[in-house]
Amino acid sequence: MAGGSRSTWYPYVLIAPAMITLVVVGLIPFLYTIYMSFHKMNYAQVGPFTWFTNYQALLTNKAFWQSLWVTVVFVCVAVPVEFMLGLVGALLLHQKIRLRQVLVPLLFIPTMLAPIVVAILWKIMLAGAWGLLSYNILERFGILGDISAFASPTLALYALIFVDIWEWTPFMILAFFAGLQSLPLNPYRAAAIDGATAVQTFFRLTVPLMIPLMAVIGLLRFIDAFKIFDTIYMLTGGGPGSATESINIFTYKRVFDFWDIGSATATAVIIWVLFFIFCNIFYKIAQKKLKAF
Amino acid sequence: MTSAMRSEKRNELLYTAITWAIVLTVLFPVFWMALMIFKPESVMFERPTVWLFKPTLDHFKYVIEMGFIKNVGASLIVCIASTLLVILLGTPAAYAFARFQKMKGRDDMFLFILATRMAPPIALVIPFYLIYAKIGLNNTYTGLILVYLTFNLSFYVWVLKSFCQEIPVELEEAAMADGYPRSQVLLRIVIPLMRPGIIATSVLCFIFAWNEFLYAFMLGGKEVKTIPTVITILITAQGVKWGELAIVGMVALLPVLFVVFLLQRHIVRGLTLGAVKG
Repeated sequence: MAGGSRSTWYPYVLIAPAMITLVVVGLIPFLYTIYMSFHKMNYAQVGPFTWFTNYQALLTNKAFWQSLWVTVVFVCVAVPVEFMLGLVGALLLHQKIRLRQVLVPLLFIPTMLAPIVVAILWKIMLAGAWGLLSYNILERFGILGDISAFASPTLALYALIFVDIWEWTPFMILAFFAGLQSLPLNPYRAAAIDGATAVQTFFRLTVPLMIPLMAVIGLLRFIDAFKIFDTIYMLTGGGPGSATESINIFTYKRVFDFWDIGSATATAVIIWVLFFIFCNIFYKIAQKKLKAF
Repeated sequence: MTSAMRSEKRNELLYTAITWAIVLTVLFPVFWMALMIFKPESVMFERPTVWLFKPTLDHFKYVIEMGFIKNVGASLIVCIASTLLVILLGTPAAYAFARFQKMKGRDDMFLFILATRMAPPIALVIPFYLIYAKIGLNNTYTGLILVYLTFNLSFYVWVLKSFCQEIPVELEEAAMADGYPRSQVLLRIVIPLMRPGIIATSVLCFIFAWNEFLYAFMLGGKEVKTIPTVITILITAQGVKWGELAIVGMVALLPVLFVVFLLQRHIVRGLTLGAVKG
């Protein structure tokens, strides 16, 4: 861009309205949360400064570790499955298929649907004694009695994981598919001339070319998966017992069931720090490997 | 027709059949929910499952009587207002981030924007709830519209920036060489070129706001009840109003159906925050 003294302040003028807004709605609540997490909280009343008492109480709370474990299981089962199925699906979609221009938009539906509506869909499908899937498959093949999978202490978490896979695999397919479609053609022509087999082409060409993209998409999905709230809240509410109480449900309950703002803000700060680390990694990988931003 | 061509043809049909079968199976729950809308309570809980039934409009009557139209109105107000605000505040910022790569502090500011986008809503809803309680913004449209800026404004800036980078810079340079002031260049040349990107990104913002549940549920209270929050009313201790639930679900689905066909290529770019060009 043409230089001159004006160009030094011009971009800041353009950015200012958005930045000021985001500082007000993002940074200030964040700082306020940190502030509260270091004080004794009497519901919304800020009490005396107590150093790390809230954090100490949180880290000695078994329910906190349990919720962390539930979250880790959830993410570490759901995301790899979504990733693998997404890759297989993208390769399938990459073949010659008729009416693909109709198929692709349809595939976006599960991901673009409100998570709360996704929850309704599966509440209906798995509604215990009369749900289409729960009665005709789960009950008939003796996997589960006439209760909903979301009410089973052993199966509820896996039912939620299944719902998440349903919701997000189509997105993974379409993201990988977009990557496959934009691969350069020349290396493939050369490989064909050299007589490479389909398997060789896949592992020697497609995989290496796709790795940066796969890293970015996988990491983004990984970060997003931690945020899950709506579907769990609607389908199990964290139960039965605390079988599906993820870290977000745990935080929610601290605030709105126990009015324990001290623990809740301490959890929020911990979640935030983790997210910030993940974001940094994501940004670095996306910028370096994909030259995306 | 050679045998190679024939086998290619056969493969194409095979792949088409497999893919379509999978997609239709995956989407079956949506179809099943659509059926629930017209399903009388009397056959809903039958074992074995009843596939054919005389459709009823009872569920619609209930939904209308509970004032659902007002909820649709509330959703539209919040989503449209917050999206317009996002366009207004975010468009110049996206342009600046795309064009002034070397400005001081750019990467830090950009990372800050990403962090607000990525921040888990549950961590934000606590301070918002408490701050709003102090300044009287709980249960107000303003409060909800403001909080939707946290995720949508940052999203908008990130994604629109990636659209903006694809616009050739030569036109702007030519206009500036002709002596046009920067503000005119932005309004007359850049923004018209950005229009497809602005439309795609803001439609996605609208959908995110439309789908949002946690903030609306916690901060909207009894006064501002958007469509997703109605769902909690239909699940009561006395039982679940299944048909009514299905109607609310379908209404929530409608704009999404519209958007997936309208935006298809741009959705992947949007959901990967511009990292993958669709």
